[in-house]
Amino acid sequence: MTATDTLHRAGAHEDTPRRRTATGRRVSRPSPLAARRRKLFWPMLLPAVLVYVVFFAGPSLFTLWLSLNQWAGAGPMTFTGLDNYQRLFQDPTFRHSFANTLWIILGAGGLTFLCSFALTMVLRDMKGRKAARSILFFPNIVPSVVIAILWGFLFQHDGLVDSLARAAGLPSVNWLGQENLFKVILIGLVWTSTGFYTTILMAAVDQIPPELYEDCELAGANALQKFRHVTLPLMWEVVGVCAVLWTISAVKVFEFVYAFAGAAGQMPDTGVWNTALYTYGEAFASGGVPRYGSAAASAVVMLALVGVLVVLIRRFMRRDAVQY
Amino acid sequence: MAVVSPGRPPGPLTRPPGPLARRLTAARIVGVPLVWLFAAFNVFTGVWLLLSSLKSGDEIFSSPWRLPTTPNWGNYARAWTDGLFGQAAVNTVVVVGGTALATLLLAAPAAYVLSRITTRFNSSLTLFFALGLGIPAQVVMLPLFVVMNQLRLVNSLFGLIIVYVATSLPFAVFFLTGFFATLPVELEEAAALDGATPLRTFWQIMLPMARGGLVTVLILNIIQHWGETVFALVFIQTTDHQTLSLALLGFLQQMQYNGADWGGLFAGVALVILPVLACYVWLGRRIIEGMTVGSVK
Repeated sequence: MTATDTLHRAGAHEDTPRRRTATGRRVSRPSPLAARRRKLFWPMLLPAVLVYVVFFAGPSLFTLWLSLNQWAGAGPMTFTGLDNYQRLFQDPTFRHSFANTLWIILGAGGLTFLCSFALTMVLRDMKGRKAARSILFFPNIVPSVVIAILWGFLFQHDGLVDSLARAAGLPSVNWLGQENLFKVILIGLVWTSTGFYTTILMAAVDQIPPELYEDCELAGANALQKFRHVTLPLMWEVVGVCAVLWTISAVKVFEFVYAFAGAAGQMPDTGVWNTALYTYGEAFASGGVPRYGSAAASAVVMLALVGVLVVLIRRFMRRDAVQY
Repeated sequence: MAVVSPGRPPGPLTRPPGPLARRLTAARIVGVPLVWLFAAFNVFTGVWLLLSSLKSGDEIFSSPWRLPTTPNWGNYARAWTDGLFGQAAVNTVVVVGGTALATLLLAAPAAYVLSRITTRFNSSLTLFFALGLGIPAQVVMLPLFVVMNQLRLVNSLFGLIIVYVATSLPFAVFFLTGFFATLPVELEEAAALDGATPLRTFWQIMLPMARGGLVTVLILNIIQHWGETVFALVFIQTTDHQTLSLALLGFLQQMQYNGADWGGLFAGVALVILPVLACYVWLGRRIIEGMTVGSVK
């Protein structure tokens, strides 16, 4: 969840001895305590490492190798080099899925961040902010399958949104038709994730000294200026963390699309697939022979996308932290 | 690591009093009602869902805004037996509980040594675990399926638990390593001076001190897996082993053939949501902070 934080911490291990007491007393020579504890290092760590390597890290690495082969899940594998990737990018379904993934990351992401910033600004000094925050956060912990079913029902023909629109005299729109389906999915994603990012941003805003805002008010700054010159610079780093978290979770989006559009208990229409659905479809729901090779290639593309975007975000957001 | 001013105790500050802070601005006049509208939408959707779960199928469509004329508890009975939610609920409790406990059992000792015992492997191992946070399920799924198939652990609750534990470890280890690092070392040193073995120090001194962090991991893990779908879809193949999310999907599928039973569906949805809601009302602050605070500090 907070990946960047760990990276920092991991890097910090090398130059700062961890065992330093508050008085500044350094433990430089190994104390008997440390020596005895050192014996525990591997026994206590190994079970976790083993499970992690065998059932998570190892299979992930194997996917890299798998993506260079042709395989039906059993029998011999044939090495085909980059063929899978080439075919992948020639496949219009994949290209469309990839575009949809980008839409989720950038489109839904942009809207989510916009809403979160706006909410943060309003919630900053609002009465009942804790209550509002709790309510906005809740959709985030409801299982996506449930959210998807609910969302689908709200938008279906004669559903709540439809009847509201009709009551307001608006023309009836076929929300779940081909041309609107993906948009409705994007809005649903914004709805569920806004509360989460609002909460993180609020926590960052809470740490900004209130005097700064009072100074601004005395200087006659309006809400937008306060946001631009005080809030944003002081929570820049947290915004970066949020962007990384969003990227990771946006690439993973699966349940919402699957359950929302695939109500028939089978794969939804390919028009709303993202790369996560494409990978699943290639491997487990293609009807004929499972195409593990191209599924693996698609999964690797997902991973690469996460990697590239995280590096880009960190580069773009890098900036000296404001001291105050 | 982020915006923390020295000399100021961390934690939420109370809003500034004084006349300036309460001044009405245009942004607030528009913004506050919008926030409450958004919140009202969430509450309304929830209440509407619970009410609908007590209505007959006709009522849901003919009078969507009204209270149910007579509470139709039959919806729940149908979901529980015909919709197989009963079996699924039992399976889910077993899987989710087993996963959470096993995750803690593996992650706590690992995080403890990573945060307390310095060797030259610490930084690379911590990073190795943290990398798992960025790996989507789809990347692991294929080879994992092959491995599990060979171990005859596909379509078994135990197999699903293993998958969940392995994929939970990055967050649990990462979170607890950070948490242990914030605890003072003096007590452990005192215990060691009194002759406690390192293992006993961990068990009797460290774990009780770290209870807050352990419980947070436990709750987050439970919530995360309560409605997990991707791995469940891949690794569970028959209805007698299905979890709640699969039962919901199955119910949707049944509706294609047996006609729409929205009342039953919403009863099923309520069965999935209500425990989460209860948990949230009870432990909300802890859940929110556990999921978000790490990104700020």
